[in-house]
Amino acid sequence: MGYGRYLAIRLLNALLVLALVTLLVSILFTKVAEEDLKSSIQEQINMKLRANPELMKQLSADPERFQEWYQNEYNRLIGAYELDKPFWVRVLERTKDTLTLNFGNTKTPIFGETNVKKIIAAAIPRTVLLFTTAQIIVILIGLLLGVKAAQVAGSALDRAVSIIAMLTSSIPMWWFGMIAILVFSFKLGWFPSGGMTSTPPKEGFAYYTDILYHMVLPVGTIVFVLFGGWAWTTRNIMIGTMQEDFIMAARAKGVPERKVIYGHALRAAAPPIITMTIFSLLGSLGGAIITEGVFNWPGMGRLYWTALQQNETRLLMGVTFVTVALYLISMILADLAYGYLDPRVKVGASQRT
Amino acid sequence: MRWVDLKESLKDFWFEFKRQKGGLLGLFLLALLVFTALAAPYITEPDIPEKWTAYWEGNPTNVPPVWYNYFTAKKLAPHRILTYRDVKITSEGEDLGGGIRYYAFEFDYNNRYDLPPKDLIIKNIGVKLADLNSPAQIVITVFRPDGQKIELLSADLVEGSIYQIAKMGAVRNNVFNWALQFEDPKNVEGRVETIKSTMDVMEVIFAKAEPGILINPQPLHGDYKFQVEIFTFNEGDRIDLKQIQIILTGRTYGFMGTDYKGRDLWAGLVWGTRVSLVVGVSVAVLSVLIGIAYGVTSAYLGGWKDEFMQRVNEFVASIPTLPILILLGAAFKGHVTLWTIVFLLVMFGWTGIAKVARSMALQIKEQTYVEAAKALGAGTGRIIFKHIMPQIMPYAFAVMALSVPGAVLTEASLSFLGLGDPTAVTWGQILYDAQTNSATINGYWWWVIPPGLAISLVALTFVLIGVALDRVLNPRLRRL
Repeated sequence: MGYGRYLAIRLLNALLVLALVTLLVSILFTKVAEEDLKSSIQEQINMKLRANPELMKQLSADPERFQEWYQNEYNRLIGAYELDKPFWVRVLERTKDTLTLNFGNTKTPIFGETNVKKIIAAAIPRTVLLFTTAQIIVILIGLLLGVKAAQVAGSALDRAVSIIAMLTSSIPMWWFGMIAILVFSFKLGWFPSGGMTSTPPKEGFAYYTDILYHMVLPVGTIVFVLFGGWAWTTRNIMIGTMQEDFIMAARAKGVPERKVIYGHALRAAAPPIITMTIFSLLGSLGGAIITEGVFNWPGMGRLYWTALQQNETRLLMGVTFVTVALYLISMILADLAYGYLDPRVKVGASQRT
Repeated sequence: MRWVDLKESLKDFWFEFKRQKGGLLGLFLLALLVFTALAAPYITEPDIPEKWTAYWEGNPTNVPPVWYNYFTAKKLAPHRILTYRDVKITSEGEDLGGGIRYYAFEFDYNNRYDLPPKDLIIKNIGVKLADLNSPAQIVITVFRPDGQKIELLSADLVEGSIYQIAKMGAVRNNVFNWALQFEDPKNVEGRVETIKSTMDVMEVIFAKAEPGILINPQPLHGDYKFQVEIFTFNEGDRIDLKQIQIILTGRTYGFMGTDYKGRDLWAGLVWGTRVSLVVGVSVAVLSVLIGIAYGVTSAYLGGWKDEFMQRVNEFVASIPTLPILILLGAAFKGHVTLWTIVFLLVMFGWTGIAKVARSMALQIKEQTYVEAAKALGAGTGRIIFKHIMPQIMPYAFAVMALSVPGAVLTEASLSFLGLGDPTAVTWGQILYDAQTNSATINGYWWWVIPPGLAISLVALTFVLIGVALDRVLNPRLRRL
């Protein structure tokens, strides 16, 4: 199986996952739409009664006739809204809405908007801003610390990295965010407890420094929880590479140690490290989403939180669908990157026995 | 494998494991956690899960633990409940003539605190009235250490009466009028009504009788005596004080304080161990077993079946777990049970292990003893379970331990989003309540810190055990 075929399978896989999620979302969509429509039908019948006192008088005299009239009216509206069609037909019809990201409106405005598509469009860049900044810092610290630890394997630094990795990987990131707010915002009052800007937002250049100021705590939280694991993974990959023959050859040639590490070893270790980057990015997305909610950062995480708190099912469907789609795209990118970086990739060929 | 062999290999294993300090620490923590989980009904009370979702009447809300007093300059009164045994009955139905009977009891309160109790609640006075139209009369008086006496309340007493001293308008009036005689008139000038409606009744009762008592009460330490007198006016009236309860609502409570419902967080913390351990361990064990069975079967079958099973594996692996779990959780909101969560986590959790198990099985499959077994006519099932699985099991134990933390954290995350089992006592759910009630920005540290530490502790325990097992069972890693 060549790389092209592997990629094709991965693509197909992603499409399958997307289809499954679409189906799930559509089922939920149909259920919600049904509930909404039914309550609206009740409302319409009541309106009609109230608007027509003559009819009301006639009907209230005879409960049986009222029942009959009510049932007729109800059935007529159910038919008009196509609620009499079988469930699966409606699900399929909703699939189109899901795929075109047409999730409808929320009950109350969020970010001053009720259209789910627009709300999500406003949230994505903010999440990307927060998450990318944090991740870049994590990768830098992790890489440097990991390489250093691998260099002095077994030393105090190396052991410290392992211990930090174990400790921080046991901490729920969102909880650590709560602690950060408790300490740095409530107790010490150094940083704001949440949000992206002050209210009302500042003008001009101050607007950007204000955003940076608000980013300190969430970014600090994400970095603190993730950098240890990162350094540890880098260390393990590097130690593996450092035992390869070509490193010994380079050393034997008299290449300076610095160059051996950063020129030879790190270069060879790059492909696994980069795929690790992308996958750990994806893996930590979940935790980061909840953390965002804790810090009231107006991104995707906050949308999840709001959607769950206020029972905005339409918003939840939209956010989930978009998250999954982004996740799958990044996964394919990771595969592409790996194939590009490591020409040795011949997935499958070695597996065939 | 014979029994002696098993014993021997266990002995070898223990010899190696003993040298892993982290692993030993992990084992110790595990023992501690298991003990806590098992002993939860004895450490706290056995009916915590039943009453967890309700408001805990009589308990103070959002107060820190008692030991907080060691760290603050202002000492806060703890929560106290007095019963029949703690009160001194001074008169039990003395006949005052004319059908009037007189009951009285007293209780002492030694106020050593800078902030007195939040409230004084007297309830469960067993009163049976012969005529509902002529209720009994209750008079509550406090004798202060400085010799002052305040008549707090004089009110009707009927069946089921509850007296919440700090919340009753009549008490507020009486206390205010009493304190006014000591207060500097300049302090209250023009603000009488505001001060009266905003003052903390309990603080004034326990304050020094000096100017400033109303606007800035200073605590008066010493022994306070509360006297409760009851008068009944009909021959048939009965008073029974056996069930009486006097609650001095604390400004601190128990080992871990309380949350917005007045729930004892210590109880929640102890009982939460059960859920965390059960969910974590069962998810890990189930997903590892399923993963290994799947991987080994896939490797053994080979050919297009292997290919197909691998595709299925990849498909499940590429589903982003948390968003899907959130979506499913929202769809079944309120009907999620712990076992639903376990099931869902297992459903997404077996894939990684299946991959590794498959590649290990592919190597083992080529060994000569498998070929020999085949030649002897052993069936597929026998070869898989008798010859391949035992080789992979040691690895499985390490993976099991290492996959507990993920399960524990995911369960906590779901509960934190409000999608967990609503009837279970979980740490994630305590933190969810903390978050929705803005505990962080109000500084309710006792509500935020302990549950998260507990989650981290469980995760860390299994990380330590897992890493140690991995080092012992996979010797190739030891050089690292």
